[in-house]
Amino acid sequence: MTDGAPTTTDLEKSFKEYSVAEFFKKNRQMLGYAGETRSLTTIVHEYVTNSLDSCEDAKVLPDILVEVHSLTARPRKTVLGIADGSEKNFDLTDSMGKAALFEVFVNDVKKERGTDYVVKYGRKGKQSVKQVVFRSSPSADAEVSALWATGHLKVVVQDNGTGIPKSKVGAALGKLLAGTKFQQQKQKRGQQGIGAAYATLFAQITTGKPTFVRTGSGNGSCFECEVSVDVKKNESVLSNQKEVRCNFTGLRVEAEFSEVAYERSEYGVYEYLRRTALANPHAQITLIEPDKNLVVFPRASTKFPEKAESIKPHPLGLGTSDLMDMAAVTQARKVGSFLSSDFSRISNDKVKEVQEWIGRKTAGDPKSAFLVDFEKHPRNLTWEEAERIVNAFHHVKFNNPDLTTIQPIGEDQIEKSLKNLLKPEFLSVVERKPKVFRGGIPFMVECAVAYGGNSGSGGNEGEFLRFANRVPLLFDAGSCAITEAMKTVDWNRYGLKDFQENQPVTVFVNFVSVYVPYTGAGKLAIAAEDEIVAEIRMGLMDAARSVGSYLSGIKKAEDREKRKLIFFKYIPEVAEALHDVTGKPKAALESSLKKIAETRTVGLEEEDADAEKALEAVEEAEEKEIEEES
Amino acid sequence: MTSKQERDQARDKRTAEILVKIDSLADKLVKEIDAGENPHLEIPIRGSSNVFFDNKSKQIMLGDKVAQRYMFNVAHARSFMQTMLVASYVKKDLLSNNLTATLRDLYYAKKRTIKGTKEDTIDDQKESDAAIVDFEVALGTFRERLHLRAEPKGRMAGDLTVVDHVRDKTDKIDLSRMGSGGWAVPSIVEQIEFEDLAAEYVLVAEKNAIFDRLNEDLYWKKNKCILMTTAGQAARGARRLLQRFSTELKLPVYCLTDSDPYGWYIYSTMKYGSMALAHESDRLGCPEMKFLGMSASDIEHYDLSSVTIKAKDVDIKRAQEIKNYDWFKSKAWQGEIDLFLEKKVKAEIQALSSKSLQYISKTYLPEKISAKDFLP
Repeated sequence: MTDGAPTTTDLEKSFKEYSVAEFFKKNRQMLGYAGETRSLTTIVHEYVTNSLDSCEDAKVLPDILVEVHSLTARPRKTVLGIADGSEKNFDLTDSMGKAALFEVFVNDVKKERGTDYVVKYGRKGKQSVKQVVFRSSPSADAEVSALWATGHLKVVVQDNGTGIPKSKVGAALGKLLAGTKFQQQKQKRGQQGIGAAYATLFAQITTGKPTFVRTGSGNGSCFECEVSVDVKKNESVLSNQKEVRCNFTGLRVEAEFSEVAYERSEYGVYEYLRRTALANPHAQITLIEPDKNLVVFPRASTKFPEKAESIKPHPLGLGTSDLMDMAAVTQARKVGSFLSSDFSRISNDKVKEVQEWIGRKTAGDPKSAFLVDFEKHPRNLTWEEAERIVNAFHHVKFNNPDLTTIQPIGEDQIEKSLKNLLKPEFLSVVERKPKVFRGGIPFMVECAVAYGGNSGSGGNEGEFLRFANRVPLLFDAGSCAITEAMKTVDWNRYGLKDFQENQPVTVFVNFVSVYVPYTGAGKLAIAAEDEIVAEIRMGLMDAARSVGSYLSGIKKAEDREKRKLIFFKYIPEVAEALHDVTGKPKAALESSLKKIAETRTVGLEEEDADAEKALEAVEEAEEKEIEEES
Repeated sequence: MTSKQERDQARDKRTAEILVKIDSLADKLVKEIDAGENPHLEIPIRGSSNVFFDNKSKQIMLGDKVAQRYMFNVAHARSFMQTMLVASYVKKDLLSNNLTATLRDLYYAKKRTIKGTKEDTIDDQKESDAAIVDFEVALGTFRERLHLRAEPKGRMAGDLTVVDHVRDKTDKIDLSRMGSGGWAVPSIVEQIEFEDLAAEYVLVAEKNAIFDRLNEDLYWKKNKCILMTTAGQAARGARRLLQRFSTELKLPVYCLTDSDPYGWYIYSTMKYGSMALAHESDRLGCPEMKFLGMSASDIEHYDLSSVTIKAKDVDIKRAQEIKNYDWFKSKAWQGEIDLFLEKKVKAEIQALSSKSLQYISKTYLPEKISAKDFLP
């Protein structure tokens, strides 16, 4: 900065920097840092997605280690009470309520939060206290105890990817919105450049500590340093930099956080990694939990995912905020050239068309200020202007995006992965053909339904797993297209009525597209566009159908047994009555009847098979109808 | 009067016929079992889908739709077994010993716990009653021939003597000397013979109270008729007897019910038969029967508007139902039902007592009968 009065550029610059770091500091929930468990999951998510992407770049099979350590004076075990067989609620002290590590045990058996118990505020006299509330009362005389620790959690994530070049460490982990992903648009897991850097900032805000980084490319030397963020300037600050001799390849990040909590719930790190492993059969993921429990999600396949083609974003896939984000980091100096250089399928002619459309639209408008100046610097684009450009995109005809940009997990890979981790009795995987939404954006749906084995979320409850480009979507299920689609399927038809409550079923849906239409900045729900919901619905029905036949097969076998029992029960009575009427020997009648019963119980299956075919026909007709409508 | 020998011969012949039917049915089943086939009974369907009104014979008839009841079908197995129990009881316990039994007797005789299970052969009497009907329609006969009796219902009085035979005993009963209670109509009336008839018509009332009123007034004596009450929906014995009065004694039969759709329907079952017993309409129906009252138009005609009862929703619904029955399609009845649906009121026969206690016997009935003010 020069001496004297600050220039306009300086002001703009400082204003902008304030807006990035400060904005996110104040709006952390937008990025998934809401709630202690969710914050920790978000941190692990940011690191792990970067690691997976990095390994794909390096063309190595990912080996990812995640450690969560409790940094306290050792976790303490406290007996909450002795069960009397009916009591479900056990009070916690204030400090237990705020513990970073909190696990509940009944007779030293670890219980699962969400499944076995919940922690919530309950009334105790006039006071409100946090309580462990069990779903079903622990048996009488059982010891209910908690293992807990307040304080910080240290998160370590290490991969075997490309590592980060020394010169880019600061930008990658200490500068917000400086990620590399805006420059090279391809189907990647992370889509914003703020994730890992924000984790650095979050560590800094909650514990004041920098983030330790070690990066190496396997050449005998690696680089270590500590990264922090200069919030005012949105610049990274590197300290304790050193080169060490070691043969490490990849990236290791260690950071310390407060205001986070580790728990084994549907929203926790364990579940996040399990789902990540399910969607990434080529990755091996190891987790060390705060109680030193080691969990390995083994690699299911050595087939490497095909590398996604690098392409620029297609205009139809953009929202106003995306355009603003891109405008902030573009190399182009004019709005016009920004559009023609940073997007696919936008030629100079198309830029003109966009400009003309906006012109026509605002022709009758007395405030000609609404016209967008295509000569100005993209960074000076206002929200309203960006909105008008995005609006124009939908009125100008562009060529469709390239279909080859879609990179599904693949039917065989999903099969391997789910078999590996769930060991189901029956598995059905469906890969749908690519379709388009918003008139031209390609997408694809992969669905699987696993039954039995380790399927479901434990305790004979089913689970519904959402993924977007292999990334598990743990939160905001309510507003997601996948949830919408699931609700429209008549699960009863497949013998999966209420599977979420009482069947060992895992339903898996991966939405694949270069442009995932997320509903919010947290990127945890897919917009429920009609084409997308319809396609996911079809995929789910496809996958559920064969599970339905399998289940009805089981049911048939059971029915066969039941039928036989019914027949055998009545045979002596019938034989005796017929003996009374005809005088034929009872024993002979009985044995003949038993023989018929044996063949009859099998013979009836053909009728069932016919019924099944009829069901398929109904659904095919239904599918056709839907396709014709859309 | 027939001789005992004649009667015995006739009975033995009937029994022999039935036994042939039962044996051939059982032989068919045994053949199927020996051939490894699924043994089954063919049972005519008794439901609205297989019941129609034959305009010519004026009877509710059973169509020719037949249901197969299989031993080896989960849904049929239990009732198949129960039908077999009925067959065994009828042949071995009743026909062979020349005994008759009530439906309830059969129920108790065949109810037991199936060996090795906690299930009973028959849970409640409804099940065995249904099995009996299945068995009678499968054989194409009726339960009296199987020596099964329903609960008797109905009473009679009048200038007539009935000759009843109870096994080897013969009783002559003078129906003009039955006191205030009347003679109870038995459930099996096949064997009854008539003597000393001095009546010109039969008056059958749906209600006990009307019978008691008219019996006390000696209406049957003064008006030369036979008086009967069915005490609600007519039992088989009463219906069979009414048919015999009509066909054998050639007496006109007039019916008296409340003025509401339920009363009218009771009349129609006596006249044409019912859906549940459509297979027996030819021996239980009484197509010549006439409806004397009370009709919906009687309410106005006899100025009873002040003693009517407001029709309930179920009454309206029932009226709409019977309006659609083929045997209520005559102009006169459609008019009556429409009138009911319009006024939405019903009346009991006892409403006539609002005039005076003996109004029914001294004015209403004589007026109606002499004017032949009947409904078909």
